[in-house]
Amino acid sequence: MELFDWSLVSSTIRMVTPILLAALGGALCSRVGIFNVGLEGLILVGAFSAIVGNHFTGSLLLALLFAALVTVLFSLLFAYMTIGLRANEIVVGVAINFLGLGLTTFALRAVFDVKGAFYDKDMAGLPQWQIPLIKDIPVLGDIISGHSPLVYFAFLAAVLLHFFFTRTVTGFRALAVGMNATAARSLGLKATRLQVLAIVMCGVLCGMAGAQLSLGQVTMFTEGMTAGRGFIALVAMMLGQAHPLGILASSFLFGLMDALSIRLQGFSLPTQFTAMLPYVLTIAAMFFLKDKGASSAGSSQQSTR
Amino acid sequence: MAAVKQLCKSLVQPLLAVIIGLLTGALVIAAVGESIIGTYQEMWKGAFGSFYFLTSTLARATPIMLIGLGLSLAFRAGVFNLGAEGQMVTGAISATLVALYLPAPGFVKMVAALVTGVLAGGLWSLFAGYLEARFRIQLLISSLLLNYVAVLFAGYLVSEPFQDKTGSAAMAQTPMLEKSVWLPKLFAGMSVHAGFLFALAAALLIFFVIRYTPFGYEVKMLGQNPFFSRYGGVNRVRVMLTGMFFSGGLAGLAGTVEVLGSHYRYVEGALTLPNFAWTGLMATLLANSHPIGVVFTSLLLAALQTGAMGVERNTDVPLELASVIQAVLILFISAKFSYDWWKNRNNKRRESHGAV
Repeated sequence: MELFDWSLVSSTIRMVTPILLAALGGALCSRVGIFNVGLEGLILVGAFSAIVGNHFTGSLLLALLFAALVTVLFSLLFAYMTIGLRANEIVVGVAINFLGLGLTTFALRAVFDVKGAFYDKDMAGLPQWQIPLIKDIPVLGDIISGHSPLVYFAFLAAVLLHFFFTRTVTGFRALAVGMNATAARSLGLKATRLQVLAIVMCGVLCGMAGAQLSLGQVTMFTEGMTAGRGFIALVAMMLGQAHPLGILASSFLFGLMDALSIRLQGFSLPTQFTAMLPYVLTIAAMFFLKDKGASSAGSSQQSTR
Repeated sequence: MAAVKQLCKSLVQPLLAVIIGLLTGALVIAAVGESIIGTYQEMWKGAFGSFYFLTSTLARATPIMLIGLGLSLAFRAGVFNLGAEGQMVTGAISATLVALYLPAPGFVKMVAALVTGVLAGGLWSLFAGYLEARFRIQLLISSLLLNYVAVLFAGYLVSEPFQDKTGSAAMAQTPMLEKSVWLPKLFAGMSVHAGFLFALAAALLIFFVIRYTPFGYEVKMLGQNPFFSRYGGVNRVRVMLTGMFFSGGLAGLAGTVEVLGSHYRYVEGALTLPNFAWTGLMATLLANSHPIGVVFTSLLLAALQTGAMGVERNTDVPLELASVIQAVLILFISAKFSYDWWKNRNNKRRESHGAV
């Protein structure tokens, strides 16, 4: 086995998808001035509800819709607490993470009556799309073709989000709300509505991230299966400066390090430093890229400016 | 009379939050088809049912309390320190290495390990503070990021250079510390150790520092109104850095007493998996950053957790009952703050209108 080969890129793309989807959701929130620490809990809820939807409807499309619906309901709780009741968004985010972990564990017991993990060998996972023509190209075909639909959706979402922010009126308004909500309101923009909309979209994206986790590579749900991916997505969002294309790049870095860590284990080399690299890079990047995407996070801090 | 009324008022909200948390817990217990009363009885037994369980709860509360106290100091100064986990791990691993390799008699080694733990946690925290003060890198984010660096680096240290090679299984942990550096247990055979006393002492100390010293006044002023404190001549950077140092130092102490008092070695994941750092954050938020309040809220959260362990041992209700109740508590409490804030805002608005 080589340390670097083309299958590493292919597994990177699979690793990237949940992180990328959740990070895009986080970016949406960040751009309208909300720092969403609750991504982890939202992904977990998405992963669980995707399995539930698949189990009871037997249809993958309905399963994805169900995952999106449940995660949106959960993110509406976040929206109500932060915007409606003006609670501190970090506090609510932390609570959402705990709530997501607790409720999915309980629901696992209540719905499937199992402890720890639910696995059903008859359940169909997301299909692997073989793209005609492209799949026959020697190297590229192996990399690009043969992923689940959500993988392609994630990359499409990044591009679409970029267009949303740079080419649409609503996108511009959303950015304005994020920069200065009071000023945006004085112009007659419906700031609250835009913020809620962003949180709801973040819920959809996190739901899809969860569905990719539980239905994409494996067809199972285990308690706490997100294993910190929500926080990785948060960091990828910061490193990408809440810019959709920047996030695409930073998520790739995290995914590559993830895939590389697994490979290094095969060589019994220490994996901690490769895993650490993205975080160190993010801190380093903050020396140069101050006060852009993440500036909204500062609004909740009292004294640090 | 007014003071009593004020006290009652400040107690009503947390009490209501606990009741709502328990009601939500009852809902999810009913959802898995277990007896609500029976489960809560098991929970009570698991947390306080016997002297053994009571001391386990105290032992569990120790790191939560120390971390919570450290965070309350930072929050009081208006600094959102999210890096308690990294500070705790940095303190714990440094103290472990000192306790393992310092050539000194047992007691000296123990004291040296404790001091190292505080210093290491404090310096790691100070680094985030320095990045904020010197380069204006948001502390909220840098402290969160430094968690990963610290946890991963400690994981490397105990899986490569300092790994315990004596055991048969290659676990990621350091060798066992010698008995002379172990923190004494408060009661023979029970899990609560001297670290609990450190936590109580720290709570009193912080209470008096905030209440009665100029530094404490500066911290409070900076947290409540940074512009006024600058106007009043407070050196913002100095107060912020000092606050961060002690905040991280207490988190480092939390990790250190866990190592010296209950694990007797650094085991990878033993500090991060129980979520001490985030629970400590919750304890601080529940207590509204009041040091004496933190003592009680961390006992409450620890009791919820050890109680939930008892529930998991004896019924079919999962351990995560504690997570659900904690999350609801926090959601309710955080909404309370906002209502106060909302009321104040409305009052102010009315006053300013009246003045015009």
